[in-house]
Amino acid sequence: MADLSITSVTKRFGDTEVLKGVTLDVADAEFVSLVGPSGCGKSTLLRIIAGLEDPSSGEISIGGEAVTQVRAADRNLSMVFQSYALYPHLTVAENIAVPLRMRSLSSGQRLPFVGSFLPGAREKRAYIASTVSDAAEMLEIKALLDRKPGQLSGGQRQRVALGRALVRNPAAFLLDEPLSNLDAKLRVQTRAEIAELHRRLNATFIYVTHDQVEAMTMSDRIAVMMDGEILQCDAPNIIYEDPDDIRVAEFIGSPKINILPVELQSGALSLFGRILGEVRESTQSGVFQLGLRPEMLRLARTNPRLSGKVAHVENLGSEIYAQIVLSDHTARVTLRAAASERWRLDLGASVGLDFNVEDALIFDAEGKRRRRIELEATQPFEAA
Amino acid sequence: MAVIDSSSIPRKTREENRQARTAWGLTGPALALMILILLVPVAVAGALSFTNYSLGNTGFDWVGIKNYDRLFSRSTYEKMFIATFTYVVVVVPVSVALGLGAALLVHSLGRVGDVYKTIFFLPVMATLLAMAIVWEFMLHPTIGVINQTLELSCGTLLEVIPFLANGCADGFPLWLGDRDYAIWVLCFIGIWQGFGFNMVLYLAGLTAVHRELYHAAEMDGAKSAWERFRLVTWPALGPTTVFVVTISCIRAFQVFDTVEAFWPQGGGPNKSTYVMMFAIFEKGVQQNLIGIGSAITMLFLVFVMFLTLIQRWLVERKVHY
Repeated sequence: MADLSITSVTKRFGDTEVLKGVTLDVADAEFVSLVGPSGCGKSTLLRIIAGLEDPSSGEISIGGEAVTQVRAADRNLSMVFQSYALYPHLTVAENIAVPLRMRSLSSGQRLPFVGSFLPGAREKRAYIASTVSDAAEMLEIKALLDRKPGQLSGGQRQRVALGRALVRNPAAFLLDEPLSNLDAKLRVQTRAEIAELHRRLNATFIYVTHDQVEAMTMSDRIAVMMDGEILQCDAPNIIYEDPDDIRVAEFIGSPKINILPVELQSGALSLFGRILGEVRESTQSGVFQLGLRPEMLRLARTNPRLSGKVAHVENLGSEIYAQIVLSDHTARVTLRAAASERWRLDLGASVGLDFNVEDALIFDAEGKRRRRIELEATQPFEAA
Repeated sequence: MAVIDSSSIPRKTREENRQARTAWGLTGPALALMILILLVPVAVAGALSFTNYSLGNTGFDWVGIKNYDRLFSRSTYEKMFIATFTYVVVVVPVSVALGLGAALLVHSLGRVGDVYKTIFFLPVMATLLAMAIVWEFMLHPTIGVINQTLELSCGTLLEVIPFLANGCADGFPLWLGDRDYAIWVLCFIGIWQGFGFNMVLYLAGLTAVHRELYHAAEMDGAKSAWERFRLVTWPALGPTTVFVVTISCIRAFQVFDTVEAFWPQGGGPNKSTYVMMFAIFEKGVQQNLIGIGSAITMLFLVFVMFLTLIQRWLVERKVHY
């Protein structure tokens, strides 16, 4: 087990720059997710960490040792591939044993028939067999050891791929979208199992996914990547509640955060011409963006800050997502409401919305978070 | 109710009959063609192999297994078996190995590989008979390019090689006219002509190898090219190899045009290149001994059938995962 650090790594394929100077430090035994939309460079970054791809510039070090020039096989990392990449001609047991055979047996000892008679081979083979059986037991695939990958279901193959990764003690585990080929139900189950495995092994995990739910539920820290950059790397709750960038706020959270244009003029912030509040510190006037999570909005009967008509309702049973077209504006906002409020959210019904001004996230026109703009709510409507 | 029951049962069987008739109707043409152009000729050849029939004769006598007895007792046919099996045993492994090697090299090259692909495949596309005539000129003992090139080494340091030393002293081999060399020259030309075909088959097989498997092998600690080949490439090429070996075997058993072009009279010096196909041609066509020709044909059929069965068994049991 070891910590891992990536320093200003760039990667260019021809003229396109896939990674634009990525820096990331992963502590020992930490679970870090790289999350982002497809094409953001997260898989490329993982493959650079693994050594399967060379960075155009930058440094990788594992456990304090620079490994940028070291080939993948010598970096002592384990990887689980999206397609699982199991050897189709080997049984499950043989598949799991491959990393051990390759590393602990000499090329002579690996030979069929002859190999087992060479000195030292018998003990090593016994050790490999017992390690494989331990790994299989941990993943509950002991019954499958004699089967070939072609005879396994997707979930079982995924376990075998995990088994092959954890059968030896690598410095870190790299997982490249390991759940993307599983069905929804199995994904939820395996998600919990991988998180549990991480706790049990107490190992460094780097997990690539495009699924924010996987990242939110499993990680110690999430690195949100977009356009070849890490926008923010923080604990899941900070990423969600306190994003640095409007792209992070938009990517994390489902349904998506509502973004509304606001204007700052002579110390007062106004939304669609209505004053929201006073700015404590003096800031330059201009156009800003207001981010409101769907759960920040609530239905209000009197003096709503926003009003509109219900355009679409999604009933999830325990809660309701309603899309509301604001009156006089083309903007649409999504509201998360409790199931008990269903009767107020008929299609076409006029509703009023309110929110706590202090909770709202304010971004500038470029999308950077403006934490220094603190609002003091003026609530002339409710006071009246 | 009884009325409906009794009428529905015959209707069902009528329906089944109709389906069966359609099925036979659709299979019919293919079945008829197969019987007419495959099974009947085989049966006729099988029957003729027990006779002394000659083309043009009005009748024939049944001679029992005399033809087969001759095949296994006369020295001519012993030479036929030796020549055929030498050719198969040399040409098949070498052309398969060369095909695989060339495919791996060409596959690793990318764009430039296309040039090599064309070069290696040219002999496959060329007419073997025409190529054989070119080879005949090249191998000519006195005016041929090969012996003239070898003579250049005389008087140089290369004479330390015994073969060249002997050649410079006593003259270089006659190649096609020498019974020690003839079969090996035949094998060489067979390999030269055939390995490009195997290379193309292997190239097709290589494109199907999952690239991520190589990455997995690297992560698992397979450092050398040989280890990656053993762990990923070779198993993935299993089905291709079975097919390539079978097709090479059958092609090797079928060798005929080079023999006919080099030695139209009688299968090489001292019958050292008297291969089966040539024997069938010589006995059955040139000498009009249909009986013995059919017997060799039946034996040929048994070999090819045997190879095909092995291939089927391997494909079903061993190489499909």
